[in-house]
Amino acid sequence: MRVPTLAAKELSTLFTSPIAYAVIAVFMVLSGYTFTVTLIVSKQATLVHIFFQAAVQLILLVPLITMRQFAEERRSGTLELLLTAPLREIEIVVAKFIACMVVVGAMTSLTLIYALVLTVYGQPDWGPIYSGYLGLILFGAALIAIGLMISALTANQIVAAVVSLGLFGILWAIDTLASLLPHPFENWLLGLSLLAHFTPFAVGAMYLSDFGFFLTVVLLGLFLTVRALARS
Amino acid sequence: MAVLSLDGLSKRFGARLAVDAVSFDVEGREVFGLLGPNGSGKSTILRLVTGYLRPTAGRARVAGIDVVRDGFAARRCIGYVPESAPLYGHMRVAEFLAFMGRLRGLSGKGLARAVDAAVDRLALGPVRSVIIERLSHGYRQRVSLAQAVLHEPELLVLDEPSNGLDPRQIIELRGLLRQLAQNCAVLVTSHILSEIERTADRVAILLDGRLLTVEAIGRETAVVPPPSRLEALFLELTQAKAI
Repeated sequence: MRVPTLAAKELSTLFTSPIAYAVIAVFMVLSGYTFTVTLIVSKQATLVHIFFQAAVQLILLVPLITMRQFAEERRSGTLELLLTAPLREIEIVVAKFIACMVVVGAMTSLTLIYALVLTVYGQPDWGPIYSGYLGLILFGAALIAIGLMISALTANQIVAAVVSLGLFGILWAIDTLASLLPHPFENWLLGLSLLAHFTPFAVGAMYLSDFGFFLTVVLLGLFLTVRALARS
Repeated sequence: MAVLSLDGLSKRFGARLAVDAVSFDVEGREVFGLLGPNGSGKSTILRLVTGYLRPTAGRARVAGIDVVRDGFAARRCIGYVPESAPLYGHMRVAEFLAFMGRLRGLSGKGLARAVDAAVDRLALGPVRSVIIERLSHGYRQRVSLAQAVLHEPELLVLDEPSNGLDPRQIIELRGLLRQLAQNCAVLVTSHILSEIERTADRVAILLDGRLLTVEAIGRETAVVPPPSRLEALFLELTQAKAI
């Protein structure tokens, strides 16, 4: 019962500040603009452009959701309240992860209206739409896990946001650096690229390896967050 | 059996030994004061006792439970008010208390009863539905105390509870501590000698992380010394002002 209690508290914290609303609103305005423009220009019933843009928007917006999760608790001293209550670190981390996922889930699910529009006025291929949404959720989960880990390492929200943004940017575009490296280093860096693992989902090709990559990033991020909170 | 037992407890931060082999016991229904100048290791000892920090050496037991080996069970026996009395400002008082109660395993009618009891005990009735960030410092301190006693802990740990309180609030806190000690052991820190002298049954004096002495105050447990002449005058002149 403690994880739902904590997750509910995290959600109420997120939605009593304007951050969650602002993040969702900006996400919807930008993706709505892109959907309209690409639909008018290309006249194709596809959401591929939306998925790629949504991924970039998540890179920019997820740090705003995760930055305060631990940094603010540490700064205000409430982390001491939680860590001295009969709770396990993993429960605190999972609750915050769930709360952040609800926000990202709300953002992505609101874009389902575009899929609905395509269905009404055209005949979209649903395979890439299903895989694209799965990819977005996995991508968002990976970003949240990394963002939480960084937030757990500092008491300053701005530092947490900036470092998260920088790391997300590097992991997104690391494949451009990979092309400069000799074999096998090239493949190693490509293996870390968020873009390389997200692209198959966005275009309708799902591979177990990409699924495993995002799952690994999520589990590793949450594990390192728990370690960052561990009593020293 | 002692409610709290420290045995050679030490904590090192890098090259600095913040707590150096401290040993003492705190009995039930006792207010035990930790005295010392700033940086003497008082808060570090409290954080070791509550499981927020891990000791470098030695051990602490709460109700016979080792706080490192079985920290989860030990933390169930502790109520803790950190120095800054941190709270979730966006919550209402009763909502916050219910949240903290759920974290401590309370639910249903038991939770409702515990919240009501804590509200009554700490005289929080008038602000029960108020958002915490709108409360005065004195009320916030009371809310922080209320969350610490919700689950009727065997050990109540208070870090500088009189910090930031005005004279009236400090006088009320004295009575409150004695009242709380009727149900549990209280470990309280302060660097104000007179406050500890008025509330504690025994005191430990610390310097640079070392325990210098443990002394009994030498008075009846249940008695709170009356306010001094200046305090009485202050109380009389400021009677209309609530906490």
